[in-house]
Amino acid sequence: MTFAVRALRNTAFLVLASAIVLGLTWGYGLSLHDTAFLSGWMLLVGVAFLTAFNLRKKLPVLPLLSVSTWLQLHIYVGWLVIVLFLLHTSLRWPTGGLETGLWLLFVAVALSGVIGIVLSRVLPRRLRLHGERLIFERIPAFRAQLAGEVESLAMDSVTQISSNTIAEYYTSRLQPFFRKPRNVRAHLLGSNEALQRLRREIRSLERYLDSKGQEALKEIEWRVAAKDNLDQQYAVQLFLKGWLFVHLPLTYGLVLVAVVHAVVVYAFDGGSL
Amino acid sequence: MNQTLAIERPRRWDQPFGPGMTESDVDRVLGLDIFRDIDQSQFPKDQSLRHIIRNDGRVVRYQRGDIVVRDGDYGSSVFVIMNGSVRVVFDDVAKSGLVGTATTPKRSVLSALRQVWSNDRMPEVRDVATYQGGDALSIRGESTAARTFIKDVDAFMAEHETFPMTEGQAFGEIAALSRTPRTATVFADAPLEAFELRWQGLRDIRRRDRKFREHIDSLYRKRRWAQELVEVPLLAKLDEATLEEIAQHALFETYGEFEWFTSYKRARDSEDVLKVEPLIAEQGAYLDGLIIIRSGFARITERLDKGERTIGYATTNDAFGLEDIVDHWRDEAGLHLRHSLRAIGNVDVLRIPTALVEQHVLPNAPAHLLRGHTVRVGSAGFAETGPSGLEQSLIDFFVDNRTINGTATMLINTDRCVGCDDCVRACAAAHNNNPRFVRHGATHGNIQVTNACMHCVDPVCMIGCPTGAIARNQADGRVMIDDRICIGCGTCANSCPYNNIQLVEIRDSSGSFIVDEATQQPIVKATKCDLCYGQLGGPACERACPHDALVRIDMRDQRHLAEWVRRS
Repeated sequence: MTFAVRALRNTAFLVLASAIVLGLTWGYGLSLHDTAFLSGWMLLVGVAFLTAFNLRKKLPVLPLLSVSTWLQLHIYVGWLVIVLFLLHTSLRWPTGGLETGLWLLFVAVALSGVIGIVLSRVLPRRLRLHGERLIFERIPAFRAQLAGEVESLAMDSVTQISSNTIAEYYTSRLQPFFRKPRNVRAHLLGSNEALQRLRREIRSLERYLDSKGQEALKEIEWRVAAKDNLDQQYAVQLFLKGWLFVHLPLTYGLVLVAVVHAVVVYAFDGGSL
Repeated sequence: MNQTLAIERPRRWDQPFGPGMTESDVDRVLGLDIFRDIDQSQFPKDQSLRHIIRNDGRVVRYQRGDIVVRDGDYGSSVFVIMNGSVRVVFDDVAKSGLVGTATTPKRSVLSALRQVWSNDRMPEVRDVATYQGGDALSIRGESTAARTFIKDVDAFMAEHETFPMTEGQAFGEIAALSRTPRTATVFADAPLEAFELRWQGLRDIRRRDRKFREHIDSLYRKRRWAQELVEVPLLAKLDEATLEEIAQHALFETYGEFEWFTSYKRARDSEDVLKVEPLIAEQGAYLDGLIIIRSGFARITERLDKGERTIGYATTNDAFGLEDIVDHWRDEAGLHLRHSLRAIGNVDVLRIPTALVEQHVLPNAPAHLLRGHTVRVGSAGFAETGPSGLEQSLIDFFVDNRTINGTATMLINTDRCVGCDDCVRACAAAHNNNPRFVRHGATHGNIQVTNACMHCVDPVCMIGCPTGAIARNQADGRVMIDDRICIGCGTCANSCPYNNIQLVEIRDSSGSFIVDEATQQPIVKATKCDLCYGQLGGPACERACPHDALVRIDMRDQRHLAEWVRRS
């Protein structure tokens, strides 16, 4: 089954499940009950199920369906939970501190989840199209290697071609560039303007150098491009790994506040339940 | 001016098989029945029979209980008993208890769960007690002279059915001739002296001396061929008499080098990898017989301008030329091959005469086999080819890199992989906190062939293992290392063309390195992916990938492969 067909199938299930949820709530309302209790409980169970996804990931050696199946459930149950949330809140702004906090947490978790899954589908391809795919943990070592090579080329140019041009350019522009990851935001936005600018600068130096100097410059230029690829890999992979550090703590916060919310509701139900 | 360093050109026997062979040993070997009647005048002076015996053979000695060959292991030599006797074990290897990990039971759910907190924190921790346990097997000797042996031979013989072989008799010819795993376990039941002849020598003597060839081939046919023919799906429905007739007329042929990984490693980076792939059948040639691949794998090519383009690949039990023969049989089309077949690595083929195929095979073959098991290739097109419609350049990539050797190749769709490393963590969790692969590897477009053991069709890593520690699991075909009898010699790691076996220094539970008593050097073990043997649910890496980016796939199943590639 292609991913597109699977997405269609799952969307159909989601629509069906949403219709069932809406039907149940409508029926519950017909019996003169407060539908917020039903939608609230369904919402809490849904959020608990979504949270269990991370627990499943921590138990890779157990035969509890594949993690990709869990992710599909996580995504589509997530959408269903959003429907439940809209139903539960009746599309009204929250009132009171606890409810506002809970509302904000839910929106933040849902948004970070949606953004995360969209980026998970978009960014890997961008990584591939930009250059060689690298293991994140190895990037600093590659960067140090490139920095060392460029420094040697720049220093050697002083003695071998008796010119300070490359060395001065290295000191002012390239050394900072190679020192750490650069242009993270630009890479996330898919811009390669920074690389283009450096290339223009490097090529503009050619007229001041003899053939040996120009050779050295070419060597430097491809290392600049390689470093730019490292930066792109770093930025995108950091983001791919990092968004979970937003999504997960917010989720745990949401679960905690949601439980408090439920306790408060039952504590102050005034006998209506 | 630089001085050029001149050395003598390396020659075939610079490194003899057994460096200790003396003239007197050669005389003794030539006195054995099997060699006595060979006409030595048929051999050229620089490759005389004496040269072959001396350089391609060796005299090996075993103590009582030593295992000479083991069912399922890869071997490339034939043995002739000089002194003493051996026993052939009838029971299969798992039942005989002569393997280690193959008998490991599957974990329970609780046992699987326990790994979450009981895995060691230090890398490569081993329980030393497992190396001194009370198994049927143990090891004596060191390095390539190491032998696994049965501790209690009498008890073993009392429990298992065996039959004896004595002086002058030969065994091991099936694996040496056909590159198939050993088909039986043989152990010395008395101090044994045997002459071991590697396949290169066997090939040369067999080629030069008709009587020797007939003798060896008759052993092979008697012991194996009938079974081999039955295993071919196209022939499975034929009766015994027909199979006998086919067996009499079919040709058994071998192409390529036995230890192909050496030349492959050299050719890998060259532009013309086809140079190391000998032709089995050439496009345009008269089709004298149906070619059935019995082991190894082959590249199917089609001439294009001044080169050849890959349009598919074939592996065990695939039939090449069937499409052409069927067309001839049905429509009386010309009997010419439309494509070429080249050996990748070492390939064994059966060539069944066309007339016999038309007379016996085609009328009885199920229709789906005439379509399914035939290697059908598409018409010329630059973008896509083959029955599956895989991208042309992707097929080239898989074949050139020998990825098609894998039965459980780890492929990653890098367009879906977010680099979360959940696969690596899951692997580590299933292997006492030691990941058994590196999430990195050769890439073509968005397909990455990851550095994880592929559990090859032709596992060259098994060639040369002195103790048989690396072996194919008889039940499911996975290639596994028995940690208890691995001596850390590194032969398997050096042989693996894909660099998927790592040697690690092992530790005890306190984290200290376990060292050799004599040298105080750390004990080394070979490690690799075992497809999560014993774990519940299959390979943890595949199950742990949230984004469906990772798959363990049998590269022989081209349709499944194409479906996976085209999924996104």
